[in-house]
Amino acid sequence: MTFLHRHKGLTPYLLLLPGIVWLTLFFVAPLGFLGYQSLQTGTFDTGYTFDWAFSNYWNAISDYHEQFVRSFVYAGIATIVALLVSYPLVYWIAFRAGRWKNVFLILIVAPLFVTYLVRTLAWLNILADQGPVVGFLRDIHVLGPDGRLLATSVAVVAGITYNFLPFMALPLYVSLEQIDGRLLEAAEDLYASKRQAFLRVTLPLSAPGIVAGTLLTFIPAAGDFINAQLLGTPRQYMVGNVIQSKFLDVLDYPAAAALSFILMALILAGLLGYARVVGTERLTG
Amino acid sequence: MRWVRRHLLPAYAFLAFCYLLLPIGVVILFSFNAPSGRFNYVWEGFTFDNWIHWDAPSGIQSAVIKSLEIGVISTIAATALGTLLALAIVRHRFRGRGATNMLIFLPMSTPEIVLGASLLTLFLNRQIVTGFGTIFIAHVMFIVSYVVVTVKARLIDFDRHLEEAAMDLGANEWVTFRKVTLPLLAPAILSAALLGFALSIDDFVITYFVSGPTQTFPLFVWGAARVAVPPQVNVVASAIFMVAVLVMVGNVLWGLRARRARESMPAAVPLPEALPRPEAA
Amino acid sequence: MTMRITRRELVQRGAAGVILSLPGLLAACGGSSGGGGGSGEVADVLRFSNWPLYIDFDEKTKKHPTLDQFTAKTGIKVDYFEDINSNAEYFGKIQRPLSQGQSIDRDIIVLTDNERFLGLMIDKGWVEELDKDLIPNFSNLIEAQASPPFDPDRKYSLPWQSGMTGIAWNEKETGPITSITQLFEDPKLKGRVTALNGMGDTPGLVMLDNGDDPSNVTDAAWNAAVDRIQKAVDSGQIRRFTGNDYAQPLSQGDLAAAIAWSGDIYQLLSSNPNLKWALPTKGGIIWTDNMIIPTGGSVPTASTYMNFVYDPKIAAQITAYVAYVPPVKGTKEILVKSDPKIGSSPLVFPSDEVLASTHQYDSAALNNQTYIEQWQKVLGA
Repeated sequence: MTFLHRHKGLTPYLLLLPGIVWLTLFFVAPLGFLGYQSLQTGTFDTGYTFDWAFSNYWNAISDYHEQFVRSFVYAGIATIVALLVSYPLVYWIAFRAGRWKNVFLILIVAPLFVTYLVRTLAWLNILADQGPVVGFLRDIHVLGPDGRLLATSVAVVAGITYNFLPFMALPLYVSLEQIDGRLLEAAEDLYASKRQAFLRVTLPLSAPGIVAGTLLTFIPAAGDFINAQLLGTPRQYMVGNVIQSKFLDVLDYPAAAALSFILMALILAGLLGYARVVGTERLTG
Repeated sequence: MRWVRRHLLPAYAFLAFCYLLLPIGVVILFSFNAPSGRFNYVWEGFTFDNWIHWDAPSGIQSAVIKSLEIGVISTIAATALGTLLALAIVRHRFRGRGATNMLIFLPMSTPEIVLGASLLTLFLNRQIVTGFGTIFIAHVMFIVSYVVVTVKARLIDFDRHLEEAAMDLGANEWVTFRKVTLPLLAPAILSAALLGFALSIDDFVITYFVSGPTQTFPLFVWGAARVAVPPQVNVVASAIFMVAVLVMVGNVLWGLRARRARESMPAAVPLPEALPRPEAA
Repeated sequence: MTMRITRRELVQRGAAGVILSLPGLLAACGGSSGGGGGSGEVADVLRFSNWPLYIDFDEKTKKHPTLDQFTAKTGIKVDYFEDINSNAEYFGKIQRPLSQGQSIDRDIIVLTDNERFLGLMIDKGWVEELDKDLIPNFSNLIEAQASPPFDPDRKYSLPWQSGMTGIAWNEKETGPITSITQLFEDPKLKGRVTALNGMGDTPGLVMLDNGDDPSNVTDAAWNAAVDRIQKAVDSGQIRRFTGNDYAQPLSQGDLAAAIAWSGDIYQLLSSNPNLKWALPTKGGIIWTDNMIIPTGGSVPTASTYMNFVYDPKIAAQITAYVAYVPPVKGTKEILVKSDPKIGSSPLVFPSDEVLASTHQYDSAALNNQTYIEQWQKVLGA
């Protein structure tokens, strides 16, 4: 203990050491290796050689730009829908649910406690072609030309939305819950209508929650491959599916690595843009 | 019309909850199904059989045990590492604080598939055999960030006066840490641990890449989904769900009890005004 | 007061737990354990990885009778894993440790000769030689399987079951489907059809439909087949590509038809009695799943088991359940008496006529890198 007393300045570094070492070894270094692998050429049978193969990146973009675009579009739609669906729900819990707030909060988080795969498989059951749900939708002529929901983009986006909804709802709730009710009272005292009070007080004050929720939903959604695999067809495949296949089935590591890097770069670029608009402190806390 | 307006929001909330909980209901319901064939998508009859013989499908028991083992040890490790990191970041000024913040935040903003793929590349390159150990490494890595965020939130609001009071009363830093800081931080650490455990149990993508021949429960489900998902998968998923909900409800109730205890305390301590004044005597 | 102590102890114990568990973890990191490696003594556990629904299973007791009989006879317990769903995926998992000379903790795994991975394992030397002295029942291997191209002397492999690739359909949803043309072009089936993702399965059937020979693949034949398949994908006719996972949608009614393996349908009949399977009139593909011993597996233990399943009585029990084509002589005679439905099933014991219309896929074509990449593009990734 006296050692620490004399070297007080060391304390933060000692506290940081184990965590930073772990993250450096198992987060930073792997990314380095990924970059290294992405610049190699070769196949599984013949072995890989490092030769600054930037062509891997070019090929990745030209071959799979469709999947990239699709991933971001799906993730974007899912995020927006999740926001629109959860906002009123969270608003109700924060402002109208009174003493049962925490119970309802648990209900929102509850889906996360059923394994991701099992949740998604349940939709296979619910949206079965011959099942009651699709039958009903077919009767009221809402379905598209395929006459089904499964194995379409709708199912994939719906699956992504469902799976990440709690990630949007929770940050929204946290920021809405912190809004002082007296501010709203003050607004109404100043002759604001309920709608104005919402648009000019509640909504702006919930902005941090919207930002956090959007990030927590969009980023994992963009890299997802499970929904597309289980609920979609190759025509709905996202970048995640390509990366997974290249890594584990085709064993084309350089291409897979290049694809992963591009995905990460795109997301980071988006993040930086977002951070500039919103302010970094809010993001990292 | 007023009635509709007033009840529009609650009605919406009700529908939204139905939507959120519908798949959960289906999963739990079908865990009690008695399918005649291999597939579990048509309701055929109620039975407790699946719950009694939950380990009937070969491999499910070892998968569940593996998931629990990995969950426990990676949560403990990640919580320890993360708490230390949070303490350092919140309470100390040091060079590279911003960079450290960034480093901790990055894994949360990287898609799981990139995390898994890059770890796999590391293991391949360094000739590390994938299996239980690599799953442990991967889980600790991605859980740490969540622990830091959770504990940090509590640390920032922490009332340092209690610690100062302890030190004024003669305790040194280590004793203060043990007897004041840690116990007050315990709920946050526990929340972080629970979050970490949940993340570990449920993780599929990262584990899929680095598991080698080892099977965790999500990996087992993935394999089963290729052929036929036995009702026992629903059983395990429902069981995990119910335990998690119970823990959370317990957490909430405990918090309520603690708050009620705190609120009732002033009544036990006589306020100065209640003491008899000298003039009145 | 008591609550506080408990919480503190929790943290303390947690920290202690981490420190104590580290050595154990490092040991686990350091490589595999358990099971015998290479030659030597027979171990007391057999670790066997197989495809799902590929061994006898008693629905009531939830056990595998032949595995229990094996344990009763030899005292060797069996750890049975149904973790192989696709040759490509499984190979991708195991090639990592195997390429570094590490064991994958298995004594027997089962791969198909219809994809390049079986041959690749043998070529790369990632398999152990069988101990034929422990497999006297080797003589029960049917002639047709005596000398396959990937293992001419049968030094490393023994067939588990054979099967055929054809077309399955749901009688309630559609009439019989007798050709790939019908499958790929009938507008009534649009979006309700799946094809197998195996490079030897779907292209093989399409080549036969085109009039080409899948056992001798030329560039022209390959390109024609791939073009046709791609067209069917683009038009939305083929819903998606599957491994074993066509079974549930077909049974559930999401699909009207699928390119499927012969034995699966038999096992699905209990879930949906309207399912039918047939070889296309222009011919189908025949393939064999083989048992091999991966590096580090225990040769004596594995060989003992292989000998056990080459006893016609045991083979009959397995075949009675899985309904695939057994490679063991004498199985038919037993089943004709004990389970006539299976014993006389053309799916399980195809007549010479049926066999004549099946073809083995060209193994050289399986290893052609250009074809592999093209096929991956078709599969959509």
